Amino acid sequence: MSSKTSVLRKKKTFVQILHTPGVAGYIFILPFIIGFVAFLALPMILSFGFSFTRYNILESPVFVGLENYKTMFFEDAKFWKVFGVTMYYVVFSVPLRLIMALLVALLLVRSTKLSGFYRAVYYLPSIIGSSVAVAILWKRMFASDGVINALLQAMKIPCEIAWLGRTDTAIWTLIILAVWQFGSSMLIFLSGLKQIPVSLYEAATVDGANGIQRFFKITLPMLTPTIFFNLINQLINGFMAFTQSYIITQGKPRDSTLFYTVYMYQNSFTYSKLGYGCAMAWFMVFVVGFLTFILFKTQNKWVYYES
Amino acid sequence: MSAMAAGGNLPDIIQQDYSYIKQYQKSGQLADLTPFMESGIIDTSKIPESIIESGSIDGKCYALSLGSNAPMMSYDKAVVEEAGVTLPMQMSMDEFFDISQQIYEKTGAKTLFDGGLGMMQIMARAKGSHLFDQLRAGEDTAVKECYDMVDRFNRSDFCISPEILAEKNPDLVETKPIIDGTSWNDFAFSNQFITISSTAGRELGIVMNPTGNDATEQSMYLKPSMFFSIAETSLNKEEAAKFIDWFTNSVECNEILMAERGIPINTDVAEALKPNMDEVSQIVFDFIAEVSKIATPIDEPDPAGKGEVEALNKTCVEDLRYGDATADEAAASFVEGAANILAEAAK
Repeated sequence: MSSKTSVLRKKKTFVQILHTPGVAGYIFILPFIIGFVAFLALPMILSFGFSFTRYNILESPVFVGLENYKTMFFEDAKFWKVFGVTMYYVVFSVPLRLIMALLVALLLVRSTKLSGFYRAVYYLPSIIGSSVAVAILWKRMFASDGVINALLQAMKIPCEIAWLGRTDTAIWTLIILAVWQFGSSMLIFLSGLKQIPVSLYEAATVDGANGIQRFFKITLPMLTPTIFFNLINQLINGFMAFTQSYIITQGKPRDSTLFYTVYMYQNSFTYSKLGYGCAMAWFMVFVVGFLTFILFKTQNKWVYYES
Repeated sequence: MSAMAAGGNLPDIIQQDYSYIKQYQKSGQLADLTPFMESGIIDTSKIPESIIESGSIDGKCYALSLGSNAPMMSYDKAVVEEAGVTLPMQMSMDEFFDISQQIYEKTGAKTLFDGGLGMMQIMARAKGSHLFDQLRAGEDTAVKECYDMVDRFNRSDFCISPEILAEKNPDLVETKPIIDGTSWNDFAFSNQFITISSTAGRELGIVMNPTGNDATEQSMYLKPSMFFSIAETSLNKEEAAKFIDWFTNSVECNEILMAERGIPINTDVAEALKPNMDEVSQIVFDFIAEVSKIATPIDEPDPAGKGEVEALNKTCVEDLRYGDATADEAAASFVEGAANILAEAAK
C-alpha cells in the first residue's frame, strides 16, 4: 500500500494509518515506551539536572554547578572508602559466583533423573536471595551465637567469631551471600554448555585428549560468549547491591560494608542531600558504563563466537 | 514522608518527631494551629503551657505534642538485685561507672555505654550549655567529656565490645543488648520502655539517664514524644483540628492508646488513665512524674544536618573504640566534622 506512488497525494485516514506496516509495531510497544519515558528516561534526565543542585527535598533545588562533584571527589573521604568497599565486593563476589556457577553447571550437564530437581534447588537462592527475609536470616546465621558458629563448634572447631562485628570478616558474609545466589548464572552456563557440539569432544577424545585438556581447550573457549554475558550482568548487579548491606550490616562495622548505593541512599534521604545523591548516582553510571565498554572492546581478544 | 512532601502529597495529619518540625515549618509544610486553639476547636485548657511552647516556632504553634517522654536508662531488676546494688534515680557518670563495675564483679553482667548524641546533650546540659550550640561554635567541652568517658568504659572489662554492638544494634528495639541479657542496662526514651520490657520478657526498671560529673544544672528534660501537625496543603484543616482535639483530650481515645505515645499531655486525662494501666505502664508514669518535678526546658529542636552529625559521631566513637584514635583525636575530628556539616546544612 505504501509503495503506491500516485500523482495526487491521498490524505490517509486514521484507519489507513493504523494499517501501515510498522505502525502496529509502535502501538504494541507504546506501553513500554510510556513506562520507559515516565519511569526511566525522565527521572534520569531530572536526576542528572539535580546532581548540579543542592536539593533537600522540602525546598526547591538551588543550582550550585559542579560543587557536588567537587565535594565527592576531593573532600568526602567516606566517598572513596565506600567506592573501595563496593569495588572489593565486586572483585571478589563476581568471579567467585561465576566459578561456582560454572562448576555446578558442569556437574548438572549430564541429565540424570534428579537434575531437574537440583537445577530448581540451586536456582532458588537467586530468586529469593535479595529479599529482606533472607537478609535477616543471614544476619542471624552469622551472629556470634548463630548457626554458623554452632556448626563450627559441633565440628570441634572452637569458634566464637563475631563475623558481623569484625571489619575483616563482615564484608565476606556479604560476599558469601552473593556467591550463594549463583543459580541464575548457573542456568545460563548450563544452556551454554548444552550448546557445545558433542562431536568436538568425541574428536578430542579420539585424538587422546584427557578431561582437563578437553575442558580448557574446548569447553572454556566455546563458553566464552556465555561467560561474557554473565560477567557483564553480574558486574552490573554487583555494583547495584543494596539490600544486603542495608539490612544485614547497615554498613557496620566502621563502614567496612557500606555499599556505594547505601551511602547514596543515606545522603539522599537521611541527610536530605538529594543533589549530592544524584551526583553519586551519575558517577556510578559512568563507572559501570566504562567497565562495560572496556569489556565489549576487549571481546575480540577472548570471546570466540562460533562462526 | 519527605518523598510525599516533595510531591505535595502530605496527608492531612502528620506525625513527626521534634527534630523535624523546624525543617518542615521552614519550608511552609505545616499549618499554623494557633487559630484553632484560640477558637477552642483544639481545647488547650488542661495542657501545660510548656508543652504548647515545645511545638511553637516564633510564637505560633505548629505541632501538638502527643505525650511526654524523658531520656531514661532501663535496667534488669534481677541482675541489679543480685549484685546487691541500689541505683539512685539520678546518678553521675562516675557513680554509673562504679556501679557498672560492681555489677560486673558480682554478677558478670556487662554494661552498655557507647556515647551517643543523647549522652553528649545531657553532659552539655549538666553544665548549662547546649550541645548543638557548642558544635556550631566548634567547641569541644561536652564532646571531650563524653569521649573521655567512652574511652574509660572501653578500657574496662565490663563494657560490651564494639564487635558485639555491630550485631546487637542498640538502635533497634529487637536487637538491643538488654533484650537477651547481654547487658544489664540500656539507654532509650521512656515511651519505648513498654516495648523494650515486653520484648525482653523480664522485669525491668527505670532510672534517669546518668548526668554529667560535677553537674551545675539539672540536665533532665521532658521531651514531646511525637507531634501531630496539620499539613499546609490539607483541604480539611478543621476536621483535622477536631481529630487532634479528640486525640489529645478525650479519655476514651487515650484508654485505647494506653500511653503508647508517652504520657498524655492533658493532665486530667493522664490522671484518669493511671488506675487502668498495667504495672509496666505505671512504672513509666511514675518515672515521668519524677522527672516532671525537676525537669528543665528541653533544648531547641535539632538543626538540619543532625542525621549526618549522628552518623559522624558513630564513626568517630568506633574509631576510638577500635583503637584507631585517642579520645582527644576522635573528639577533635568529630567537632571539626560536625561544625562543617552544620554550617553546610544551614545554608
